[in-house]
Amino acid sequence: MSLLRLEFLRLKRTSRWLILGGVFVGFGLMGPLAARYMEQLLDIAGGDLDGVTIEFPDPVPADGIIQYVNNAVQVGTLVAVVVAAGALAFDSIPEMGIFLRTRVPSVWRILLPRLVVTFAAVSVAFILGVGAAWYETTVLLGALDSGAMLLGTLLGVLFLAFVVAVVAAVAQWARTMLATVMVSLIVLVTLPIVGIADIVGRWLPTRLGAALADLVDEGAAGDYLGPAAVALVAIPVLLGLAARGVRRRET
Amino acid sequence: MITTRSLTKRYGGTIALDDVDLNVSPGSIYGLAGPNGAGKTTLLGILAGLRRETSGELHIDARAGEIAVLPDTPRFDPWLTGREVVALARSLVDPNGPSGRVDEVLVETGLADAGSRRVGGYSRGMLQRLGIAATLVGRPRLVLLDEPASALDPGGRREVLDLIARLRGTATVLFSSHILADVQEVCDTVGTLDKGRLLFEGPLRDLLVGSAVPRYVVHLRGNADTVAARLTQASWVSSAEARSDGVLFLEVTSLADAEERLAEALAAAKAVVVSYGPEEVSLERAFLELTGGRPKP
Repeated sequence: MSLLRLEFLRLKRTSRWLILGGVFVGFGLMGPLAARYMEQLLDIAGGDLDGVTIEFPDPVPADGIIQYVNNAVQVGTLVAVVVAAGALAFDSIPEMGIFLRTRVPSVWRILLPRLVVTFAAVSVAFILGVGAAWYETTVLLGALDSGAMLLGTLLGVLFLAFVVAVVAAVAQWARTMLATVMVSLIVLVTLPIVGIADIVGRWLPTRLGAALADLVDEGAAGDYLGPAAVALVAIPVLLGLAARGVRRRET
Repeated sequence: MITTRSLTKRYGGTIALDDVDLNVSPGSIYGLAGPNGAGKTTLLGILAGLRRETSGELHIDARAGEIAVLPDTPRFDPWLTGREVVALARSLVDPNGPSGRVDEVLVETGLADAGSRRVGGYSRGMLQRLGIAATLVGRPRLVLLDEPASALDPGGRREVLDLIARLRGTATVLFSSHILADVQEVCDTVGTLDKGRLLFEGPLRDLLVGSAVPRYVVHLRGNADTVAARLTQASWVSSAEARSDGVLFLEVTSLADAEERLAEALAAAKAVVVSYGPEEVSLERAFLELTGGRPKP
């Protein structure tokens, strides 16, 4: 029984893999469907709108992915934060933290498997969701630009790595799992608000979450160079903060 | 095995440990006795590397992997089985140890049958025994146990104390408890901690003999009050306290004085004596006398 296997068992036995997969793949399957049949769905739901007629433009392939990204980035990120906090806030029950802390020579031995498995699980769920949305969009709405899809997926994965790193850093400074979730969400929600100012916004890693939707809709890849570079710098800084937090904490 | 010099820990303005000089000999079972809030958990936390001292020196003659720590209420991920918890502990501290070691400690702690059950369904006593199994699986040289039996029912307490006693000769054990009877039963060396200060450290025998006031217990037939009043007048009797059931507690200037003069004094007081002898001093009484608390007669 290694610490890596412990994390796989955590995902499996607590059904977290099912929740992650369900959310991302669910939105992946629903997004293109919603884009393709939005008009009919509103007809069924709304019925007669007192003479008001809403006309939708004919859906295009990008709409399927935009629908997926809009839902997956919001709800998916929330689920990813909760799953990551469950694994990374290992001192939230001090006796469990003591069990691990007193048996390893370096805190990295505890942190690394948790980071790797959490990031892998969240990323695989996101990629499976993209796969489902891509396939269904192709069937229902038409072909997508493969280059834009692959680059957008890669940037989405980078965004999730940033999310996991934020949770890792917060988890080692907050005392409980609930506090970890709340503070992480506040950080992730506050960043886009700060980013309303374009001079800041164009550099924020939180922009990467929507990159896939933008790229398939004729967005420019160059717009994401800045956020990607900041994410690549921020992730090791956040992990360093996490390691520092683990070391300084007294249990 | 463990030496501390002037070890001090402050939490803001509160002193949790005050100039503690601790000496734990290799191979000993050392009982750290003291009431709740005395600083026992803080001291164990510092020795385990989980907390940092504010000042002072600390030397432990064991490497990190050779020290095992058990918190007072061990908890584990509830979706793991008992065997998986012990196997995880082994893989972290003794990955090259014999593979049968996991089963060995499960048998030793009475968890062989429950090993394949998930920990979430374990009772408190089983969790404590599982904690001990996870502690012992790495064959540590130094075992730090924080109140290992305090929260258990009498049966569970008995099992845990027996497990600790069996460690004698295989590891150095430092265990804290506010239940002094546990310390008295298992330990050969004792340290008494109160309000962060180490009031006594040494062999248990020295504490019981050295600190306690010499007392005699006399069992009488009938009322002990008149006998108590008579004996109080003797110069070698410091105080006499009679209980309604005919038991008389005598504090004497020395046990030798009592041996020489008590029989004669009881006869002179026309006491009907059932039995008498020096009081067997308990750790609780010795501790209360050290800390200025009032022992119960």
